[in-house]
Amino acid sequence: MKVNLHPRTGLLFNAYLLMFFIHKVQTGVGIVGLPRIVYLDSKHDAWISVFLAGVITGIVIWAMFIMLKQYDSADLYGIQVDMFGKWLGNLLNIIYMVYLSACFFAIFMNYIEIVQVWIFPNLPTWQLSLVLIALSVYAVQGGVRVVVGLAFLAVLGTLWLAAVLIVPMKYADSTHLFPILNVDIKHLIKGMYGSSLSMMGFELLMFFYPFIKDKKNTLLYAQIGNLYTTILFSIVTLVSIMFFAEDSLARTIWPVLSMFKIVRLPNLERFEFIAVSFWMLIIVPNMSAYLWAASKGFSRVINLKQKHGIWFIGILGWALAFFVHTRSQMNAVTDYVAKMGFVLAFCYPVMLSALVFMKKRFMRRKADNAQGS
Amino acid sequence: MFKWRSDRKQAEEHKSHSLDVDELKKQLEEELASCSDISFRTIKKDGKKILTSFLSSLIDKSSLDEFILQSLQTNFSKSMTVEEVAQILPIAQLSASNQLKEIVESIIEGSVYIYVEGEPCGLLANVSKTAERSLEKAETEALVYGPKISFTESLPINVNILRSNVKDAKLCFEDIEVSTRVKARIKIVYIKDIADPNNVETFRQRISNLKVDYIPDTTVLGQLIENNSWSVFPQLMTTELPDRISIGLLSGKVAVLMDRSPAALYGPTPFFTFFESTEDIYMRWNMAFFLRMLRLSAIFLSVLLTPAYVSVLTYHYEVIPSPLLVSLGQSRANVPFPPVFEALLLEFIIEMLREAGARLPTKVGQTMGIVGGIVIGQAAVDAGFTSNILIIIIALSALGSFTTPSYLMGTAIRIIRFPIIILAGFWGGIGIMVAFCFFLIHLLKLDSLGRPYLSPAYPLRLSDLGYSMFRYPLEYLSKRPVTNQPVDNDRFPVKKAKQKKDVDE
Repeated sequence: MKVNLHPRTGLLFNAYLLMFFIHKVQTGVGIVGLPRIVYLDSKHDAWISVFLAGVITGIVIWAMFIMLKQYDSADLYGIQVDMFGKWLGNLLNIIYMVYLSACFFAIFMNYIEIVQVWIFPNLPTWQLSLVLIALSVYAVQGGVRVVVGLAFLAVLGTLWLAAVLIVPMKYADSTHLFPILNVDIKHLIKGMYGSSLSMMGFELLMFFYPFIKDKKNTLLYAQIGNLYTTILFSIVTLVSIMFFAEDSLARTIWPVLSMFKIVRLPNLERFEFIAVSFWMLIIVPNMSAYLWAASKGFSRVINLKQKHGIWFIGILGWALAFFVHTRSQMNAVTDYVAKMGFVLAFCYPVMLSALVFMKKRFMRRKADNAQGS
Repeated sequence: MFKWRSDRKQAEEHKSHSLDVDELKKQLEEELASCSDISFRTIKKDGKKILTSFLSSLIDKSSLDEFILQSLQTNFSKSMTVEEVAQILPIAQLSASNQLKEIVESIIEGSVYIYVEGEPCGLLANVSKTAERSLEKAETEALVYGPKISFTESLPINVNILRSNVKDAKLCFEDIEVSTRVKARIKIVYIKDIADPNNVETFRQRISNLKVDYIPDTTVLGQLIENNSWSVFPQLMTTELPDRISIGLLSGKVAVLMDRSPAALYGPTPFFTFFESTEDIYMRWNMAFFLRMLRLSAIFLSVLLTPAYVSVLTYHYEVIPSPLLVSLGQSRANVPFPPVFEALLLEFIIEMLREAGARLPTKVGQTMGIVGGIVIGQAAVDAGFTSNILIIIIALSALGSFTTPSYLMGTAIRIIRFPIIILAGFWGGIGIMVAFCFFLIHLLKLDSLGRPYLSPAYPLRLSDLGYSMFRYPLEYLSKRPVTNQPVDNDRFPVKKAKQKKDVDE
């Protein structure tokens, strides 16, 4: 396997699109339940936890960039083989492929659960999952440009949803926030860990990196995307804390949707129906980004065609959906993906980038020495 | 064996005709499949024969009589050669040939073949006369403002119009050979130092690679050379407005003209081009901006209103505030159908009316208005077929789809409404979003001549937004649209346009 990918120029996309892409892949189903999950640990300082988690994400992105910069045009699949050799490297690659496919699965399953709870209680899971998977397969078949373009247009199309938060602000009570920083460090960190699931998605940078046209701007735009996500998440958490009474936030599973519920226009009520439907525009780009990255492994690791990989993962995901029936099972799946993600998206890349950095440093010194003598 | 056969075929293609007049007559008659309108006229002088052969339906009789026969009769002498005959004929387009195939092809195009017995070759004189109509106002693309002239079926006239519109020495008309059974005269038009050579090459390559028997019109040519023929969205645009082509050429687009086709094909034409009218350019920018926004939102409403009605009334009636719900319920109280069926029925009736109106002769066309007024009116409501509100919604969405300047795109938009309505009937809002996501992905995957279809929205080209989605004041449009990848970017110097004067200077 070639470590560096060097795709042809027609496939490359501009770095500024990362700004939208990173934001889009981070904002998925996670944000709908984020305020509650963080609130359970860090109480009324949850928004600080979310913000700090965003800062840490920024640091991880920086570490990733340091790692990717050491190569011309390599993705994580190539780097791991370069670092750990064929066998261990490919084993790690397959773990990543499983993780990415699991994310793909978790995203659409969570969305279907939301749809079933909020709109159609009797809608069979397999129908909606079939349609969602078909949509993302269709998108991924268009290649990396379509996946990134979909994320870009979806961000533009869903920007206005953030503005809807102004309505619950009218009923907000700012005293819920005080006293600020009253929660001890341990709970704050627990809250940060809780928000890691929602922050995930930025690790796709390691797979899309070879397809960026102006690679030197990668870090800047990825950070802007992450910054927007961080601010948005913090504000959403902040508003939820102010809007809900202490106990009700802990008992509301999807606080963001519950807040949408109170939006009332002269010709429109129960805004959450529209919001939940519209959420599909957030979900589909997310699914296709993960599906793309996972199926890319098929051509990178196993020497199969990527299009076969797309179908394989799609059908597998659809089949697996039959085994998840209850809310508790779904919770278990999501927790499991979150745990995997915490290791594979946050911890491991930092470690790997340190290793890559040291290795390249070492090689350079060796080369210099060889030249000197 | 096969080599020998191919050799013979080649020999057949380059066969010179017989040098004997009577034999030649026979050969020509045979090659032209014994048409009844092939005519021969033999002039005899001093024992030497001159044969003129032509298709009487294709040539201009008076110029044949006046310029060919008369000059031959008065000036002919015994020792005359082909060169001398060429000297005495007062005709501009004259060529010598003795290849049977070439001669037959020219005769089909309206030439006269003049052959002096005993000479090695004869002369082809072009005196063709084609049926053509005079220049008229554009009909399918109606305009309030700006030039009204439209293309006709004649290629020379169309070239003439374009040449006089764009008086630029770099304006290129490039002939393209198509390997069709019926020879089509196709010209690629572009301005050499503006248009991207890649676009020209794409057109050239795709057209010359075609292998079909007949291309009736540029719209067919467009379908033949676009990338995704399964899509409902047209990827190349045809227009009958010469000024539209001129503006396109100057912004770096490439056009294709075809003989016997009253419309020019041009590209690259991304999605939003289909919502541009030339009037947007002739109008003041703020009006044009408003009209464009109006058009885009009309399209959006046209696609979304009926499905929204269906999904809300079938599944999400909680969304409607109670006062409105009461009136909706009352209007629907008499309707026995589910909302999907009701909406599909009414949409279908509207489509039928539109199609019937388009097919009817103008004299009976008024009937359509009356029928439509009665059917899609109070009668349908009184009969308990539909609700009042749905009629308003359907009328709005029909209106919205007619605001599209391109008839093709308008039809595409009306068609995509049907699957969306059905999906809305299945899954309500979720169904609408499924359709919306599908079309978004679909549009992202399309391309026009290899250029992204959703440009300038994706890839985002901020400077092009002023051309296609919005309309900026002219002074900000100093660069040609990047979407066309023009070679020469500048329309006018920016500095001069942006010079600002101080107060009372």
